[in-house]
Amino acid sequence: MLKLRTFFLIATGLLIGYAAAAQTPGAAPAAEKPMTTEEILFWILLGLLGLVLLVALLMGIMITVQMRPQLRKVYEMPTVRPTMSGKVLGLLVGDPVLVKGEVKDELLDHDYDGIHEFDNDLPPWWKYSFYVTIFFGFIYLGYYHLAQAAPLSEGEYAAEMQQAALMVSADNDDPNKLTDYKPLTAATDLTDGKGIFAQNCAACHGQNAEGKVGPNLTDEYWLHGGEVNHVYKTVKFGVQGKGMVAWKGKLSGKQILQVTSYVLSLQGSKPANAKEPQGEKETAGKPVASR
Amino acid sequence: MIVDPKPLVARPETPPARAVDTFFYDNRIVRNFGIATVFWGVAGMLIGTLIAFQLARPELNMGTQYTTFGRIRPLHTNAVIFAFVGNGIFTGVYYSLQRLCKTRMFSDKLSKLHFWGWQLVILSALISLPLGITTSKEYAELEWPIDILITVVWVVFGWNMFGTIAKRRERHLYVGIWFYIATLLTVAVLHIVNSLSIPVSFTKSYPIYAGVQDALVQWWYGHNAVAFFLTTPYLGLMYYFLPKAAERPVYSYRLSIIHFWSLIFIYIWAGPHHLLYTALPDWAQSLGVVFSIMLIAPSWGGMINGLLTLRGAWDKVRTEPVLKFMVVAVTAYGMATFEGPMLSLKNVNAIAHFTDWIVAHVHVGALGWNGFLTFAVLYWLWPRLYRTPLYSKRLANTHFWLGTLGILFYAIPMYWAGFTQGLMWKQFNAEGMLQYPNFLETVLQIVPMYYLRGIGGVLYLSGVFLMIFNLVKTAKAGTLLADEKAQAPALMPAELVEEHQGGHWHRWIERRPVQLSIGATIAILIGGAVEMIPTFLVKSNVPTIASVKPYTSLELEGRDIYIREGCNNCHSQMVRPFRSETERYGEYSKAGEFIYDRPFLWGSKRTGPDLHRVGAKYPHSWHYNHMMDPTSMSPGSIMPAYPWLFEQNIDYSSTPAKIDVLRKLGTPYPAGYGQQAVADARQQAALISRDLAKEDIEVKSDKEIVALIAYLQRLGTDIKVKEDPNAVEVVGVLPAE
Repeated sequence: MLKLRTFFLIATGLLIGYAAAAQTPGAAPAAEKPMTTEEILFWILLGLLGLVLLVALLMGIMITVQMRPQLRKVYEMPTVRPTMSGKVLGLLVGDPVLVKGEVKDELLDHDYDGIHEFDNDLPPWWKYSFYVTIFFGFIYLGYYHLAQAAPLSEGEYAAEMQQAALMVSADNDDPNKLTDYKPLTAATDLTDGKGIFAQNCAACHGQNAEGKVGPNLTDEYWLHGGEVNHVYKTVKFGVQGKGMVAWKGKLSGKQILQVTSYVLSLQGSKPANAKEPQGEKETAGKPVASR
Repeated sequence: MIVDPKPLVARPETPPARAVDTFFYDNRIVRNFGIATVFWGVAGMLIGTLIAFQLARPELNMGTQYTTFGRIRPLHTNAVIFAFVGNGIFTGVYYSLQRLCKTRMFSDKLSKLHFWGWQLVILSALISLPLGITTSKEYAELEWPIDILITVVWVVFGWNMFGTIAKRRERHLYVGIWFYIATLLTVAVLHIVNSLSIPVSFTKSYPIYAGVQDALVQWWYGHNAVAFFLTTPYLGLMYYFLPKAAERPVYSYRLSIIHFWSLIFIYIWAGPHHLLYTALPDWAQSLGVVFSIMLIAPSWGGMINGLLTLRGAWDKVRTEPVLKFMVVAVTAYGMATFEGPMLSLKNVNAIAHFTDWIVAHVHVGALGWNGFLTFAVLYWLWPRLYRTPLYSKRLANTHFWLGTLGILFYAIPMYWAGFTQGLMWKQFNAEGMLQYPNFLETVLQIVPMYYLRGIGGVLYLSGVFLMIFNLVKTAKAGTLLADEKAQAPALMPAELVEEHQGGHWHRWIERRPVQLSIGATIAILIGGAVEMIPTFLVKSNVPTIASVKPYTSLELEGRDIYIREGCNNCHSQMVRPFRSETERYGEYSKAGEFIYDRPFLWGSKRTGPDLHRVGAKYPHSWHYNHMMDPTSMSPGSIMPAYPWLFEQNIDYSSTPAKIDVLRKLGTPYPAGYGQQAVADARQQAALISRDLAKEDIEVKSDKEIVALIAYLQRLGTDIKVKEDPNAVEVVGVLPAE
């Protein structure tokens, strides 16, 4: 009996500990910070509790195993067996009937074209699983719809987006604002840009940016501006209704700048099968790209 | 009375003084349905194998519209469900019902009418689906005239079945018959409610439901087609053929009672689990979740009653192929019905839905449960119909192993593919970007799995050919016992038989087929009613969006081409509220966006990307080139080409009728718009063809591709904020990197 009480106490302690632990991450910001002494102490204590619980559990199992014959005798007493605690005892001593049910194999007087039927009990494991699932159903509906204790589809989405907003860098996400980048000129950036172009842009703009579905990018004519920050914006946010895909979310800010710089490096390259100019000519006075 | 489980002692019976009737069972109809089962089984599986390899090698679409995946995938599902399993049901029911009722079928004429009527339904599916005549609703693709034919044939079946039950010589109905009755009634209700539509022409109709409501009705139907066409009738067959083959009593009568009623009551509620995280109202989704979980035990009730019936017969399982097939069938049933509820949990569904995981899941059910039980029944029946031992047990055993191997080769790669793709879609990198922004990358990753799956299909099918050889040889060795002589005492009025008075409380309803039918009908109506009525009547369930407008007449024609080509078989139109989807596709789909969608086209599988936000994403020319040759725009794409769209003219002949029907259904086209619709469509088409001309693409404005482009460019654009792209304000911002 003493054992049981210890058990209970430890379990309660652990539960409270867990609840406390569950609250801490909410308070602390996501950024990595060194643990305070309090926190270290808390985790040590929690670990100790867990260890104690494990030992207690093992001892409980040992005692049950050791005392099985005695427990069995108690279990087999006719006054104990049908009671609820008797059933728990039965599970402890491992009475298979409690799980599988009593298989009496009593034949009913049914005869359907030679098929007979037993009238065996519903297997308890089956029956209680059924109860558990029904219980789950009520809890689920109550939790989400009556108590409204957790968000549903839209709430989950809002939370997910909020979480993501914390993660993503403060990259300017306003399509109406223009960045002030300079074109990248390092060879590695241009090589990366070339790879990105081949993979994502070539289908519409052609392998050499000569223009296919999308416009020719090697001439001086631009539909949405040929200055590096204009091109960056066009790549990032796309052009609604004109077919330019928004690459935001698919390419990182750096990648967009790389591919933009690569495209601008192709100015005047005069590829074969070039598409006719579209848009307005950008004069040399405007900084196009430093080659 | 207590008996040892092993030897079954013949019980002393004190037959009351009753006249013994002599009558004949109709075996010919059973044999005919059996042949039809095998014939359509092979057809369905051949098409299945073809479309499996089409996903790995697009050139197998053969460049014709009649053999392209989108049109023949429904042919595969219809052939396997309604032709193979359907005829399988009738084979088993016609054999067992006669014997369980101790009478010949009610009417030979009705039996024949049922047989030929059903084959006619299948034949019309075989013709109409490749022609692109389809409603697009999964497992209910057949158009209205065939729907009516199905209804008529089903009534014939019901009439014949209840007629047989009415003239039975056995007072009580066996559990198998309860399942048959539930099947008959529920399939009738499902089919009629889901098929309600208004015809435009002989080959085209629009459903009376739109958008979210159409989706709810369709998946109430789709899910319960699995329940009441693939499950309950086969449980009925299991309850007859398994104890027969094992020669053992059924394990538990009371388990059959509980699991029968709970199964049919709970199953009907679970449909919304096909629509988790969609625009369906949350409360309906949650009902779908919890009833799916509650369905585990009732489903397993059938499995354990089957498996435990085999106690004392496991030694026979080792040698008897019929029992082997049954054991695997029942086990596959148990696995699939546990997996199904797990897939209904929203967090699992978020990964599994739209992937091949679902394809794996249904094939464990179809190949394992339905296929193997059908084979068991056929192997058991043939020697009895032809009065001769099975030609070769060894071949049957080989079939068993080939089939089992086939299932493994099918299922494992598909699970693998499903997990892989589901996770790839959701993966973000450290910079908060999609790791695999290019959808095609996630497809090409799993193409090897598509090959393996095809090989699994070939293995399974080759087993079926072994069975055909075996059955033909058996039939040749014997002669068909077309009319099997049987004797049974005539039925005495229940009041006169003492044993019919008391007994288990459930015996009461087993003596009364009418009350049993009414009880079953009530049980299956509740769930559907609770989910559908509020969705239809309560406005807040589908919040309207002012900017959502009906399709233009050209877009409508384009949409019907989309339906004809079965695009929805590979492309969903439902962006779920996940960051991974809104980043990839755009704003998630809202219920109010679909109010003019008849039928809804949310899809159930993403072999290609979602299309709900594809409108205005690419230029017209992108779509033009892509439909002509998908690999030109997406190198490596497994999508087939659609060259015929560039040759065929848009069929405007039924446009006014379409507008009229939609107006009748509530789409707010102006009165008399039907007359103007064609002119409007031509005008819009001319604009598109002019836009294309600017990009050096010459296309006549009356080609089908123009209508399709119009539709695709409209998709999901109604709620997009039209912002002015010229408003640019230059502000200095530090570079991010």
